Amino acid sequence: MTRTVLCFGDSNTHGQIPGRGPLERYARGQRWGGVLESLLGPGWQVIEEGLSGRTTVHDDPIEGALKNGRTYLRPCLQSHTPLDLIIIMLGTNDLKRRFNMPPSEVAMGIGCLVHDIRELSPGPAGHDPEIMIVAPPPMLDDLREWESIFSGAQEKSRKLALEFEIMADSLEAHFFDAGMVCQCSPADGFHIDEEAHRQLGDALAQEVLAIGWADA
Amino acid sequence: MPDMRFAPPNPLRIADRASGLNSLSVRSHNERLVLSLLLQNEATTRLEIGEKTGLSAQTISVIVRSLEQEGLVVRGEAQKGRVGPPTTPLMLNSEGAYSVGVSVGYRNTHIVVVDFIGNVQHQRVMPHKTADTFDVPEALALEIHQAIAGLSESRQGRIAGVGLALPTPPIRSGPDHDVLHRYLETELGLPVFVQNDITAAAGGESLFGAARQLQDFLFFYLGARLHGRLVLNHQIYNGNSPLSYDVGVLALERALPAGDPISAKLWEQHPSWPPMGSAFTDWQQACAESLIKSTQALLQFIELKTVLLSSFVPPEICTTLCKLVRQEIPSIDAVIGRTFAAPKAVGAASLPFSSRFMVH
Repeated sequence: MTRTVLCFGDSNTHGQIPGRGPLERYARGQRWGGVLESLLGPGWQVIEEGLSGRTTVHDDPIEGALKNGRTYLRPCLQSHTPLDLIIIMLGTNDLKRRFNMPPSEVAMGIGCLVHDIRELSPGPAGHDPEIMIVAPPPMLDDLREWESIFSGAQEKSRKLALEFEIMADSLEAHFFDAGMVCQCSPADGFHIDEEAHRQLGDALAQEVLAIGWADA
Repeated sequence: MPDMRFAPPNPLRIADRASGLNSLSVRSHNERLVLSLLLQNEATTRLEIGEKTGLSAQTISVIVRSLEQEGLVVRGEAQKGRVGPPTTPLMLNSEGAYSVGVSVGYRNTHIVVVDFIGNVQHQRVMPHKTADTFDVPEALALEIHQAIAGLSESRQGRIAGVGLALPTPPIRSGPDHDVLHRYLETELGLPVFVQNDITAAAGGESLFGAARQLQDFLFFYLGARLHGRLVLNHQIYNGNSPLSYDVGVLALERALPAGDPISAKLWEQHPSWPPMGSAFTDWQQACAESLIKSTQALLQFIELKTVLLSSFVPPEICTTLCKLVRQEIPSIDAVIGRTFAAPKAVGAASLPFSSRFMVH
């Protein structure tokens, strides 16, 4: 029996290398999804669905409607079903100046995704899958050339973990605060480097196993 | 009407990140289910909690996270299993909560402070001026204040309450139980929980002691007299039975010559008793017979595997009594209690934990 984990995220799930060009990506084994898969070991399959610029529920007026996590989530779930666990790590792009969103609204966006997952029930035998909300690590103060795009997001990013946890509690979902184990890279202030990917993959492997899986 | 799915989040628990214990009212039934399992087992996993409670993994995740934040629960090291993925055990944080236990006995009042897993942090004995009288609630309140003052300030904020173990029928010259209960609650500003002393001692063994993992056992308390309680599925049956047998320390004391200096020693805690000749061996035989008869009488109704003997008398004597029971009833494992420092007071200290954290 193989258990399947879907990692639904943005550039930090895609493995975008901090401070480098848009086409530069860490290799599978360096990305947290790959680290997670190797630590979970045989019997587990990890699917990465990380899109740079992905928001929770917003069409991006500049980058395009394709960045909307909500519209992509449904076909994505149906493509990969049955799924045992869905890890959602989003929220950073919702903090762009153009969306003008407070942290609580970003958490509401995450909540929408949880509701959508439960409506589709893409788990084994048509059941609900386990859902883990992961709060991204807070941004650093110096965002280099991205400052104008994210202006004011730094402080909001430090409040995401609490808002996401309240949402996870109220919707009864698993929760993990990535800021507990890793930081964004100073190269651009909001992407995570190879070490942080490893730290996050390590921590999430423990979180995933701690859920408790009958005869996995 | 707005779509309630997208109403502001309404967490099941109070997202209270302040330190200290949450107030009584917010402890939900599901939270108590989880805590009950943790109080009854040295370590468990979220998977086991799910199997035993029927709660979903995600519900358990929310509850465990909240208990971790409250400091009541800690995660152990992940254990590599022989098959399957490693499991992360959950256990109580011994420093997560504290409790005060008071037992008012025939000759002494005992005061203990225990941590969340029953380790005795503080112990005091207040001898009564006259046996069978207790009329000093003010002195008791002072002793409790001092016991609490012995904890660091942050731990003082984690006291779950005060347990009061009182005999049935009440001691002759003492305040009414309700009056003492209310007096202490006002004086200490802590919730006070009252229970029959023998039942409390059985509860203490069930929660902290030798019977922690036992669902069912027969409990005996050997004090001035011999008392019994039956524990089925972690619940103490017939909690306040006043029936007891006159084969306890009082009977031994009576068998000694009047004015024998040994008799005072019987009521204090000693690693062993001085030689007492045939008075002792006769008493021991009578006591063992009473234990055996009660156990046998019960065995025709219930399949029991364990008898637990709790007492302040020297452990070596209890061990001998247990051996005599095992010889006579080989199907029974007779063991001595682990809370022998002060069985009733430690039992009393288990009351605030069971009342505030467990399902009933």
